[in-house]
Amino acid sequence: MQTLFNGIITGVIMTLPALAVTLLFGVLKFPNFAVGAMMTVAAYLAFALNAQLGWPLVVAAGVAALAMGFACIAIDQVTFKPLRERGAITLMVASLGLGFILENIARFAYGNAARGFVVELARPFRFADVRMNHEQMTTIAVASVAMAAMYVLLTRLPMGRAMRAVADNPALALVRGIESPRVIRWTWFIAGMLLAVGGVLIGMDRALEPPMGSNYLISVFAAAILGGLGSPLGAFVGALVIGVVSELSTLVVAPNYRIGVPLVAIAVILVFRPQGLFGQPYIRR
Amino acid sequence: MTNVLNVAGLHAGYGAGDILKGIDVALEKGRIVTMIGPNGSGKSTFIKTLAGLLPARQGTIELEGERLNDLSAPKRVRAGVSYVPQEYNVFRNLTVLENLKIAREFMGVNGSGPGLAEELFPDLRSHYKKQAGNLSGGQRQMLAFACALAVRPRVLMLDEPSAGLSPILMSAVFDKVKQVNAMGVSILMVEQNAREALRISDTCIVLAGGRVRSCGPAEVVLGLDLKNLYLGADAL
Repeated sequence: MQTLFNGIITGVIMTLPALAVTLLFGVLKFPNFAVGAMMTVAAYLAFALNAQLGWPLVVAAGVAALAMGFACIAIDQVTFKPLRERGAITLMVASLGLGFILENIARFAYGNAARGFVVELARPFRFADVRMNHEQMTTIAVASVAMAAMYVLLTRLPMGRAMRAVADNPALALVRGIESPRVIRWTWFIAGMLLAVGGVLIGMDRALEPPMGSNYLISVFAAAILGGLGSPLGAFVGALVIGVVSELSTLVVAPNYRIGVPLVAIAVILVFRPQGLFGQPYIRR
Repeated sequence: MTNVLNVAGLHAGYGAGDILKGIDVALEKGRIVTMIGPNGSGKSTFIKTLAGLLPARQGTIELEGERLNDLSAPKRVRAGVSYVPQEYNVFRNLTVLENLKIAREFMGVNGSGPGLAEELFPDLRSHYKKQAGNLSGGQRQMLAFACALAVRPRVLMLDEPSAGLSPILMSAVFDKVKQVNAMGVSILMVEQNAREALRISDTCIVLAGGRVRSCGPAEVVLGLDLKNLYLGADAL
Protein backbone atom coordinates (compact mmCIF):
# COMPACT_ATOMS: atom_id res chain seq x y z
CA MET A 1 0.00 0.00 0.00
CA GLN A 2 2.84 2.38 0.84
CA THR A 3 4.48 1.67 -2.54
CA LEU A 4 1.18 2.25 -4.31
CA PHE A 5 0.71 5.56 -2.49
CA ASN A 6 4.26 6.64 -3.35
CA GLY A 7 3.54 5.75 -6.98
CA ILE A 8 0.39 7.88 -6.95
CA ILE A 9 2.41 10.81 -5.57
CA THR A 10 5.07 10.34 -8.29
CA GLY A 11 2.28 10.23 -10.86
CA VAL A 12 0.55 13.30 -9.45
CA ILE A 13 3.83 15.24 -9.58
CA MET A 14 4.18 14.30 -13.26
CA THR A 15 0.63 15.30 -14.24
CA LEU A 16 1.49 19.00 -14.48
CA PRO A 17 4.63 18.73 -16.67
CA ALA A 18 2.92 16.01 -18.75
CA LEU A 19 0.02 18.38 -19.31
CA ALA A 20 2.46 21.12 -20.32
CA VAL A 21 4.15 18.75 -22.80
CA THR A 22 0.84 17.72 -24.30
CA LEU A 23 -0.44 21.31 -24.54
CA LEU A 24 2.74 22.49 -26.26
CA PHE A 25 2.75 19.52 -28.60
CA GLY A 26 -0.93 19.98 -29.41
CA VAL A 27 -0.63 23.64 -30.34
CA LEU A 28 2.96 23.86 -31.66
CA LYS A 29 3.35 20.30 -33.00
CA PHE A 30 6.79 19.57 -31.63
CA PRO A 31 8.11 17.69 -28.58
CA ASN A 32 9.71 20.26 -26.28
CA PHE A 33 12.64 18.56 -24.55
CA ALA A 34 13.47 21.72 -22.62
CA VAL A 35 10.57 21.13 -20.21
CA GLY A 36 12.84 19.38 -17.70
CA ALA A 37 15.28 22.30 -17.55
CA MET A 38 12.38 24.79 -17.46
CA MET A 39 11.10 23.02 -14.32
CA THR A 40 14.60 23.19 -12.82
CA VAL A 41 15.00 26.92 -13.47
CA ALA A 42 11.55 27.69 -12.04
CA ALA A 43 12.25 25.56 -8.96
CA TYR A 44 15.52 27.43 -8.33
CA LEU A 45 13.72 30.75 -8.75
CA ALA A 46 11.20 29.67 -6.11
CA PHE A 47 14.16 28.52 -3.97
CA ALA A 48 15.77 31.97 -4.29
CA LEU A 49 12.59 33.69 -3.14
CA ASN A 50 11.86 31.14 -0.43
CA ALA A 51 15.24 30.21 1.06
CA GLN A 52 17.23 33.34 0.25
CA LEU A 53 14.62 36.10 0.61
CA GLY A 54 12.58 34.34 3.26
CA TRP A 55 9.24 34.34 1.44
CA PRO A 56 6.72 31.62 2.30
CA LEU A 57 6.98 28.77 -0.22
CA VAL A 58 3.42 29.19 -1.50
CA VAL A 59 4.08 32.86 -2.39
CA ALA A 60 7.51 32.06 -3.83
CA ALA A 61 6.00 29.28 -5.96
CA GLY A 62 3.23 31.56 -7.20
CA VAL A 63 5.66 34.30 -8.22
CA ALA A 64 7.98 31.74 -9.82
CA ALA A 65 5.03 30.33 -11.79
CA LEU A 66 4.07 33.77 -13.11
CA ALA A 67 7.70 34.59 -13.91
CA MET A 68 8.16 31.27 -15.72
CA GLY A 69 4.98 31.90 -17.69
CA PHE A 70 6.33 35.21 -18.97
CA ALA A 71 9.82 33.74 -19.43
CA CYS A 72 8.37 31.00 -21.63
CA ILE A 73 6.70 33.61 -23.85
CA ALA A 74 10.06 35.39 -24.17
CA ILE A 75 11.90 32.12 -24.83
CA ASP A 76 9.41 31.30 -27.59
CA GLN A 77 9.88 34.69 -29.24
CA VAL A 78 13.67 34.36 -29.20
CA THR A 79 14.17 30.63 -29.75
CA PHE A 80 11.21 28.90 -31.35
CA LYS A 81 9.29 31.58 -33.26
CA PRO A 82 12.08 32.24 -35.78
CA LEU A 83 12.25 28.48 -36.46
CA ARG A 84 8.50 27.81 -36.58
CA GLU A 85 8.35 27.31 -40.37
CA ARG A 86 11.25 24.85 -40.38
CA GLY A 87 9.34 21.90 -38.95
CA ALA A 88 9.13 19.77 -35.85
CA ILE A 89 12.62 18.23 -36.02
CA THR A 90 14.34 21.64 -36.05
CA LEU A 91 12.21 22.83 -33.13
CA MET A 92 12.90 19.62 -31.21
CA VAL A 93 16.67 20.01 -31.67
CA ALA A 94 16.42 23.66 -30.61
CA SER A 95 14.58 22.56 -27.47
CA LEU A 96 17.39 20.11 -26.66
CA GLY A 97 19.93 22.92 -26.92
CA LEU A 98 17.73 25.26 -24.90
CA GLY A 99 17.37 22.63 -22.16
CA PHE A 100 21.13 22.26 -22.01
CA ILE A 101 21.59 26.02 -21.64
CA LEU A 102 18.86 26.45 -18.99
CA GLU A 103 20.09 23.55 -16.87
CA ASN A 104 23.62 24.94 -16.91
CA ILE A 105 22.42 28.41 -15.97
CA ALA A 106 20.95 26.79 -12.83
CA ARG A 107 24.20 24.87 -12.27
CA PHE A 108 26.25 28.04 -12.76
CA ALA A 109 24.14 29.97 -10.26
CA TYR A 110 23.72 27.34 -7.55
CA GLY A 111 26.32 24.61 -8.16
CA ASN A 112 25.73 20.88 -8.10
CA ALA A 113 24.98 20.51 -4.40
CA ALA A 114 21.47 19.40 -3.47
CA ARG A 115 19.36 22.03 -1.79
CA GLY A 116 15.92 22.15 -0.23
CA PHE A 117 13.06 24.58 0.27
CA VAL A 118 12.54 26.10 3.68
CA VAL A 119 9.34 24.51 4.94
CA GLU A 120 8.11 23.89 8.45
CA LEU A 121 8.84 20.40 9.63
CA ALA A 122 5.76 18.46 10.55
CA ARG A 123 5.23 14.94 11.77
CA PRO A 124 3.91 12.59 9.05
CA PHE A 125 0.57 10.97 9.75
CA ARG A 126 -0.68 7.48 9.07
CA PHE A 127 -3.86 6.33 7.43
CA ALA A 128 -4.56 2.60 6.95
CA ASP A 129 -0.87 1.74 7.36
CA VAL A 130 0.17 4.32 4.77
CA ARG A 131 2.57 7.01 5.93
CA MET A 132 1.86 10.42 4.39
CA ASN A 133 3.82 13.59 4.95
CA HIS A 134 2.59 17.14 4.60
CA GLU A 135 4.53 17.75 1.38
CA GLN A 136 2.76 14.80 -0.23
CA MET A 137 -0.65 16.09 0.83
CA THR A 138 0.28 19.55 -0.48
CA THR A 139 1.35 17.93 -3.75
CA ILE A 140 -2.02 16.19 -4.15
CA ALA A 141 -3.93 19.38 -3.28
CA VAL A 142 -1.92 21.67 -5.57
CA ALA A 143 -1.98 19.24 -8.51
CA SER A 144 -5.73 18.68 -8.07
CA VAL A 145 -6.44 22.41 -8.08
CA ALA A 146 -4.18 22.91 -11.12
CA MET A 147 -5.84 20.07 -13.02
CA ALA A 148 -9.33 21.38 -12.17
CA ALA A 149 -8.29 24.86 -13.33
CA MET A 150 -6.95 23.37 -16.58
CA TYR A 151 -10.21 21.45 -17.09
CA VAL A 152 -12.23 24.64 -16.68
CA LEU A 153 -9.87 26.56 -18.97
CA LEU A 154 -9.90 23.97 -21.76
CA THR A 155 -13.61 23.19 -21.73
CA ARG A 156 -15.37 26.29 -20.43
CA LEU A 157 -13.35 29.33 -21.46
CA PRO A 158 -12.96 30.77 -24.99
CA MET A 159 -9.13 30.76 -24.84
CA GLY A 160 -9.07 27.10 -23.82
CA ARG A 161 -11.43 26.19 -26.65
CA ALA A 162 -9.23 28.23 -29.01
CA MET A 163 -6.16 26.29 -27.85
CA ARG A 164 -7.92 23.00 -28.57
CA ALA A 165 -9.11 24.34 -31.93
CA VAL A 166 -5.58 25.37 -32.98
CA ALA A 167 -4.31 21.94 -31.85
CA ASP A 168 -7.04 20.27 -33.92
CA ASN A 169 -6.75 22.22 -37.18
CA PRO A 170 -4.51 25.34 -37.31
CA ALA A 171 -5.61 26.48 -40.80
CA LEU A 172 -9.31 26.20 -39.97
CA ALA A 173 -8.68 28.07 -36.70
CA LEU A 174 -7.42 31.05 -38.73
CA VAL A 175 -10.57 31.25 -40.84
CA ARG A 176 -12.70 30.90 -37.72
CA GLY A 177 -11.16 34.17 -36.53
CA ILE A 178 -8.68 32.74 -34.04
CA GLU A 179 -5.44 34.74 -33.84
CA SER A 180 -2.86 31.92 -33.61
CA PRO A 181 -0.01 34.09 -32.26
CA ARG A 182 -2.16 35.08 -29.29
CA VAL A 183 -3.13 31.46 -28.66
CA ILE A 184 0.53 30.42 -28.86
CA ARG A 185 1.51 33.07 -26.31
CA TRP A 186 -1.21 31.88 -23.91
CA THR A 187 -0.15 28.26 -24.41
CA TRP A 188 3.45 29.09 -23.48
CA PHE A 189 2.31 31.12 -20.49
CA ILE A 190 0.13 28.32 -19.14
CA ALA A 191 2.75 25.65 -19.90
CA GLY A 192 5.37 27.77 -18.12
CA MET A 193 3.16 28.05 -15.04
CA LEU A 194 2.45 24.31 -15.02
CA LEU A 195 6.16 23.54 -15.38
CA ALA A 196 7.05 25.93 -12.56
CA VAL A 197 4.53 24.36 -10.19
CA GLY A 198 5.72 20.91 -11.29
CA GLY A 199 9.34 21.94 -10.59
CA VAL A 200 8.45 23.14 -7.09
CA LEU A 201 6.56 19.91 -6.38
CA ILE A 202 9.59 17.86 -7.48
CA GLY A 203 11.81 20.02 -5.26
CA MET A 204 9.48 19.35 -2.32
CA ASP A 205 9.42 15.61 -3.00
CA ARG A 206 13.14 15.15 -3.63
CA ALA A 207 15.81 17.87 -3.59
CA LEU A 208 16.80 20.82 -5.73
CA GLU A 209 19.70 20.00 -8.03
CA PRO A 210 20.41 20.94 -11.66
CA PRO A 211 19.32 17.62 -13.26
CA MET A 212 16.12 17.41 -11.16
CA GLY A 213 13.88 18.25 -14.12
CA SER A 214 15.77 16.24 -16.70
CA ASN A 215 15.50 13.18 -14.44
CA TYR A 216 11.75 13.31 -14.96
CA LEU A 217 11.91 13.97 -18.67
CA ILE A 218 11.53 10.39 -19.91
CA SER A 219 8.74 9.65 -17.44
CA VAL A 220 6.90 12.85 -18.35
CA PHE A 221 7.10 12.09 -22.07
CA ALA A 222 6.06 8.48 -21.43
CA ALA A 223 3.03 9.79 -19.55
CA ALA A 224 2.12 12.21 -22.34
CA ILE A 225 2.62 9.55 -25.04
CA LEU A 226 0.68 6.91 -23.08
CA GLY A 227 -2.22 9.30 -22.64
CA GLY A 228 -2.00 10.49 -26.24
CA LEU A 229 0.06 13.56 -27.16
CA GLY A 230 -2.31 16.49 -27.39
CA SER A 231 -4.86 15.04 -24.98
CA PRO A 232 -5.00 16.79 -21.57
CA LEU A 233 -7.09 14.01 -20.03
CA GLY A 234 -4.60 11.51 -21.43
CA ALA A 235 -1.69 13.35 -19.80
CA PHE A 236 -3.38 13.08 -16.42
CA VAL A 237 -4.17 9.35 -16.73
CA GLY A 238 -0.80 8.59 -18.34
CA ALA A 239 1.11 10.31 -15.53
CA LEU A 240 -0.74 8.37 -12.83
CA VAL A 241 -0.23 5.04 -14.65
CA ILE A 242 3.49 5.63 -15.29
CA GLY A 243 4.02 6.85 -11.70
CA VAL A 244 2.26 3.88 -10.11
CA VAL A 245 3.79 1.24 -12.42
CA SER A 246 7.30 2.71 -11.98
CA GLU A 247 6.96 2.59 -8.23
CA LEU A 248 5.40 -0.90 -8.16
CA SER A 249 8.18 -2.17 -10.43
CA THR A 250 10.60 -1.71 -7.52
CA LEU A 251 8.87 -4.65 -5.84
CA VAL A 252 10.18 -7.00 -8.55
CA VAL A 253 13.27 -5.28 -10.01
CA ALA A 254 16.09 -3.29 -8.44
CA PRO A 255 15.16 0.42 -7.99
CA ASN A 256 18.03 1.38 -10.33
CA TYR A 257 16.10 -0.19 -13.19
CA ARG A 258 12.94 1.80 -12.49
CA ILE A 259 13.83 4.21 -15.30
CA GLY A 260 13.34 1.28 -17.68
CA VAL A 261 9.58 1.27 -17.03
CA PRO A 262 8.74 4.48 -18.91
CA LEU A 263 11.12 3.50 -21.72
CA VAL A 264 9.37 0.13 -22.10
CA ALA A 265 6.02 1.91 -21.89
CA ILE A 266 7.00 4.30 -24.72
CA ALA A 267 8.16 1.38 -26.90
CA VAL A 268 5.01 -0.69 -26.26
CA ILE A 269 2.65 2.26 -26.85
CA LEU A 270 4.36 3.34 -30.06
CA VAL A 271 4.18 -0.22 -31.44
CA PHE A 272 0.63 -1.14 -30.45
CA ARG A 273 -1.27 2.14 -30.06
CA PRO A 274 0.77 5.07 -31.36
CA GLN A 275 -2.03 7.57 -30.70
CA GLY A 276 -2.02 6.64 -26.97
CA LEU A 277 -5.04 5.95 -24.79
CA PHE A 278 -6.97 9.15 -25.54
CA GLY A 279 -5.24 10.58 -28.61
CA GLN A 280 -6.60 10.74 -32.14
CA PRO A 281 -4.95 8.62 -34.87
CA TYR A 282 -2.57 10.79 -36.89
CA ILE A 283 -3.72 11.44 -40.44
CA ARG A 284 -1.24 12.93 -42.89
CA ARG A 285 -2.89 15.76 -44.84
CA MET B 1 -25.70 46.92 -58.87
CA THR B 2 -22.67 47.59 -56.62
CA ASN B 3 -19.83 45.16 -56.19
CA VAL B 4 -19.22 43.69 -52.74
CA LEU B 5 -15.88 42.15 -53.68
CA ASN B 6 -13.38 43.43 -56.23
CA VAL B 7 -10.27 41.50 -57.20
CA ALA B 8 -7.83 43.06 -59.65
CA GLY B 9 -4.62 41.64 -61.15
CA LEU B 10 -4.27 38.94 -58.49
CA HIS B 11 -1.12 36.82 -58.49
CA ALA B 12 -0.58 34.08 -55.89
CA GLY B 13 0.93 30.64 -55.57
CA TYR B 14 3.16 28.24 -53.72
CA GLY B 15 6.95 28.17 -53.96
CA ALA B 16 8.64 29.96 -56.83
CA GLY B 17 5.91 29.96 -59.48
CA ASP B 18 2.56 31.72 -59.61
CA ILE B 19 -0.60 29.63 -59.85
CA LEU B 20 -2.86 32.65 -60.23
CA LYS B 21 -1.55 34.84 -63.04
CA GLY B 22 -3.50 38.07 -62.92
CA ILE B 23 -7.12 37.39 -61.93
CA ASP B 24 -9.75 40.11 -62.28
CA VAL B 25 -13.08 39.27 -60.68
CA ALA B 26 -16.00 41.29 -59.32
CA LEU B 27 -18.75 39.87 -57.13
CA GLU B 28 -22.00 41.81 -57.29
CA LYS B 29 -23.82 42.33 -54.01
CA GLY B 30 -26.45 39.69 -53.30
CA ARG B 31 -25.40 37.40 -56.13
CA ILE B 32 -24.19 33.79 -56.31
CA VAL B 33 -21.04 33.49 -58.39
CA THR B 34 -19.69 30.05 -59.20
CA MET B 35 -16.14 29.52 -60.33
CA ILE B 36 -15.53 26.42 -62.41
CA GLY B 37 -12.55 25.06 -64.27
CA PRO B 38 -10.44 21.94 -64.82
CA ASN B 39 -8.33 20.43 -62.04
CA GLY B 40 -5.25 22.54 -61.31
CA SER B 41 -6.74 25.70 -62.78
CA GLY B 42 -6.24 27.58 -59.49
CA LYS B 43 -9.80 27.68 -58.14
CA SER B 44 -8.92 26.61 -54.58
CA THR B 45 -5.77 28.76 -54.62
CA PHE B 46 -7.93 31.75 -55.56
CA ILE B 47 -10.40 31.22 -52.75
CA LYS B 48 -7.61 30.56 -50.20
CA THR B 49 -5.89 33.78 -51.25
CA LEU B 50 -9.11 35.71 -50.72
CA ALA B 51 -9.50 34.08 -47.29
CA GLY B 52 -5.98 35.17 -46.33
CA LEU B 53 -4.47 31.69 -46.08
CA LEU B 54 -2.11 32.49 -48.96
CA PRO B 55 -0.51 35.89 -49.53
CA ALA B 56 -1.36 37.86 -52.65
CA ARG B 57 1.92 38.48 -54.48
CA GLN B 58 0.45 41.15 -56.74
CA GLY B 59 -2.93 42.76 -57.24
CA THR B 60 -5.63 44.01 -54.91
CA ILE B 61 -8.53 42.47 -53.01
CA GLU B 62 -11.22 44.91 -51.86
CA LEU B 63 -14.35 44.33 -49.81
CA GLU B 64 -16.78 47.19 -50.46
CA GLY B 65 -13.86 49.54 -50.96
CA GLU B 66 -11.82 48.28 -47.97
CA ARG B 67 -8.44 46.84 -49.01
CA LEU B 68 -8.01 43.33 -47.58
CA ASN B 69 -4.47 42.53 -48.80
CA ASP B 70 -2.74 43.45 -45.57
CA LEU B 71 -5.30 41.87 -43.24
CA SER B 72 -4.60 38.47 -41.65
CA ALA B 73 -7.11 35.65 -42.17
CA PRO B 74 -8.81 36.23 -38.77
CA LYS B 75 -9.14 39.97 -39.50
CA ARG B 76 -10.69 39.25 -42.92
CA VAL B 77 -13.25 37.05 -41.17
CA ARG B 78 -14.13 39.89 -38.84
CA ALA B 79 -14.33 42.24 -41.83
CA GLY B 80 -17.10 40.02 -43.18
CA VAL B 81 -15.47 37.41 -45.44
CA SER B 82 -16.41 33.93 -44.29
CA TYR B 83 -14.87 30.79 -45.78
CA VAL B 84 -15.84 27.12 -45.71
CA PRO B 85 -12.89 24.92 -46.75
CA GLN B 86 -13.43 21.85 -48.90
CA GLU B 87 -12.38 19.26 -46.30
CA TYR B 88 -11.36 19.31 -42.64
CA ASN B 89 -13.87 22.12 -42.28
CA VAL B 90 -14.88 21.42 -38.67
CA PHE B 91 -12.81 20.90 -35.51
CA ARG B 92 -13.15 17.13 -35.33
CA ASN B 93 -12.13 16.73 -31.68
CA LEU B 94 -14.53 19.39 -30.43
CA THR B 95 -18.25 18.97 -29.99
CA VAL B 96 -20.78 20.50 -32.36
CA LEU B 97 -21.67 23.11 -29.73
CA GLU B 98 -18.00 23.96 -29.14
CA ASN B 99 -17.50 24.43 -32.90
CA LEU B 100 -20.41 26.86 -32.96
CA LYS B 101 -19.24 28.66 -29.81
CA ILE B 102 -15.77 29.19 -31.27
CA ALA B 103 -17.28 30.68 -34.40
CA ARG B 104 -19.43 33.06 -32.36
CA GLU B 105 -16.63 33.98 -29.95
CA PHE B 106 -13.86 34.66 -32.44
CA MET B 107 -15.42 35.57 -35.77
CA GLY B 108 -16.85 38.76 -34.28
CA VAL B 109 -19.94 40.65 -35.27
CA ASN B 110 -19.55 42.85 -38.31
CA GLY B 111 -22.51 45.03 -37.54
CA SER B 112 -25.03 43.32 -39.80
CA GLY B 113 -27.21 41.72 -37.14
CA PRO B 114 -27.30 38.36 -35.42
CA GLY B 115 -25.90 35.12 -36.85
CA LEU B 116 -27.80 32.89 -39.21
CA ALA B 117 -26.71 29.50 -37.88
CA GLU B 118 -29.61 28.73 -35.55
CA GLU B 119 -32.13 30.05 -38.05
CA LEU B 120 -30.89 27.88 -40.91
CA PHE B 121 -29.70 24.75 -39.17
CA PRO B 122 -32.13 23.90 -36.36
CA ASP B 123 -31.33 20.17 -36.73
CA LEU B 124 -27.83 20.72 -35.35
CA ARG B 125 -29.31 21.28 -31.89
CA SER B 126 -29.91 17.54 -31.43
CA HIS B 127 -26.19 16.87 -32.07
CA TYR B 128 -24.73 19.60 -29.84
CA LYS B 129 -22.91 17.15 -27.53
CA LYS B 130 -21.60 14.93 -30.33
CA GLN B 131 -17.95 15.17 -31.41
CA ALA B 132 -17.86 16.85 -34.81
CA GLY B 133 -15.58 14.10 -36.12
CA ASN B 134 -18.38 11.58 -35.53
CA LEU B 135 -20.92 13.40 -37.72
CA SER B 136 -21.87 12.09 -41.16
CA GLY B 137 -20.50 13.88 -44.23
CA GLY B 138 -23.71 15.83 -44.76
CA GLN B 139 -24.04 16.81 -41.11
CA ARG B 140 -20.41 17.91 -41.07
CA GLN B 141 -20.97 20.11 -44.12
CA MET B 142 -24.02 21.68 -42.46
CA LEU B 143 -22.00 22.35 -39.29
CA ALA B 144 -19.25 23.96 -41.36
CA PHE B 145 -21.89 26.18 -43.01
CA ALA B 146 -23.43 27.03 -39.66
CA CYS B 147 -20.03 28.04 -38.25
CA ALA B 148 -19.26 30.21 -41.26
CA LEU B 149 -22.63 31.90 -40.77
CA ALA B 150 -22.41 32.22 -36.99
CA VAL B 151 -21.93 35.89 -37.65
CA ARG B 152 -23.68 37.36 -40.67
CA PRO B 153 -20.92 37.64 -43.30
CA ARG B 154 -20.95 40.01 -46.23
CA VAL B 155 -19.39 37.37 -48.49
CA LEU B 156 -19.55 33.61 -47.99
CA MET B 157 -16.90 31.63 -49.88
CA LEU B 158 -17.46 27.92 -50.37
CA ASP B 159 -14.77 25.55 -51.62
CA GLU B 160 -16.44 22.54 -53.26
CA PRO B 161 -19.40 22.36 -50.84
CA SER B 162 -20.80 19.21 -52.49
CA ALA B 163 -17.53 17.23 -52.55
CA GLY B 164 -18.00 13.65 -51.38
CA LEU B 165 -21.76 14.00 -50.81
CA SER B 166 -24.55 11.81 -52.19
CA PRO B 167 -26.84 13.41 -54.83
CA ILE B 168 -29.59 13.92 -52.21
CA LEU B 169 -27.24 15.61 -49.77
CA MET B 170 -25.71 17.61 -52.60
CA SER B 171 -29.10 19.00 -53.45
CA ALA B 172 -29.75 19.78 -49.75
CA VAL B 173 -26.46 21.69 -49.61
CA PHE B 174 -27.31 23.75 -52.69
CA ASP B 175 -30.76 24.46 -51.21
CA LYS B 176 -29.03 25.89 -48.14
CA VAL B 177 -26.75 27.97 -50.33
CA LYS B 178 -29.81 29.43 -52.02
CA GLN B 179 -31.47 30.13 -48.64
CA VAL B 180 -28.36 31.86 -47.30
CA ASN B 181 -28.20 33.98 -50.42
CA ALA B 182 -31.87 34.89 -50.09
CA MET B 183 -31.00 36.36 -46.67
CA GLY B 184 -28.71 38.87 -48.36
CA VAL B 185 -25.34 37.14 -48.22
CA SER B 186 -23.27 37.32 -51.41
CA ILE B 187 -21.77 33.95 -52.30
CA LEU B 188 -18.62 32.93 -54.15
CA MET B 189 -18.48 29.21 -54.75
CA VAL B 190 -15.85 26.96 -56.29
CA GLU B 191 -17.39 23.73 -57.55
CA GLN B 192 -16.52 20.63 -59.55
CA ASN B 193 -20.17 19.63 -59.90
CA ALA B 194 -20.53 22.52 -62.28
CA ARG B 195 -24.02 21.88 -63.64
CA GLU B 196 -25.62 21.46 -60.19
CA ALA B 197 -23.92 24.60 -58.91
CA LEU B 198 -24.75 26.69 -61.98
CA ARG B 199 -28.46 25.91 -61.62
CA ILE B 200 -28.56 28.08 -58.46
CA SER B 201 -25.98 30.66 -59.61
CA ASP B 202 -26.30 34.06 -61.23
CA THR B 203 -22.83 34.31 -62.73
CA CYS B 204 -20.20 31.81 -63.84
CA ILE B 205 -16.47 32.39 -63.99
CA VAL B 206 -14.35 29.89 -65.91
CA LEU B 207 -10.79 29.62 -64.69
CA ALA B 208 -8.07 27.86 -66.69
CA GLY B 209 -4.30 27.96 -66.24
CA GLY B 210 -4.53 30.54 -63.46
CA ARG B 211 -6.41 33.05 -65.63
CA VAL B 212 -10.06 33.92 -66.13
CA ARG B 213 -11.02 32.30 -69.44
CA SER B 214 -14.66 33.39 -69.52
CA CYS B 215 -17.23 35.13 -67.39
CA GLY B 216 -20.95 35.38 -68.00
CA PRO B 217 -24.49 34.51 -66.90
CA ALA B 218 -24.77 31.03 -65.38
CA GLU B 219 -27.85 30.14 -67.46
CA VAL B 220 -25.87 30.71 -70.67
CA VAL B 221 -23.00 28.49 -69.48
CA LEU B 222 -25.49 25.72 -68.68
CA GLY B 223 -26.30 25.52 -72.39
CA LEU B 224 -22.67 25.12 -73.44
CA ASP B 225 -20.27 22.19 -73.61
CA LEU B 226 -18.06 22.69 -70.53
CA LYS B 227 -15.15 20.81 -72.12
CA ASN B 228 -15.06 23.29 -74.97
CA LEU B 229 -15.39 26.15 -72.52
CA TYR B 230 -12.43 24.90 -70.47
CA LEU B 231 -10.33 24.44 -73.60
CA GLY B 232 -11.27 27.82 -74.97
CA ALA B 233 -13.16 26.54 -78.02
CA ASP B 234 -16.35 28.20 -76.72
CA ALA B 235 -16.46 31.61 -75.14
CA LEU B 236 -19.12 33.62 -73.33
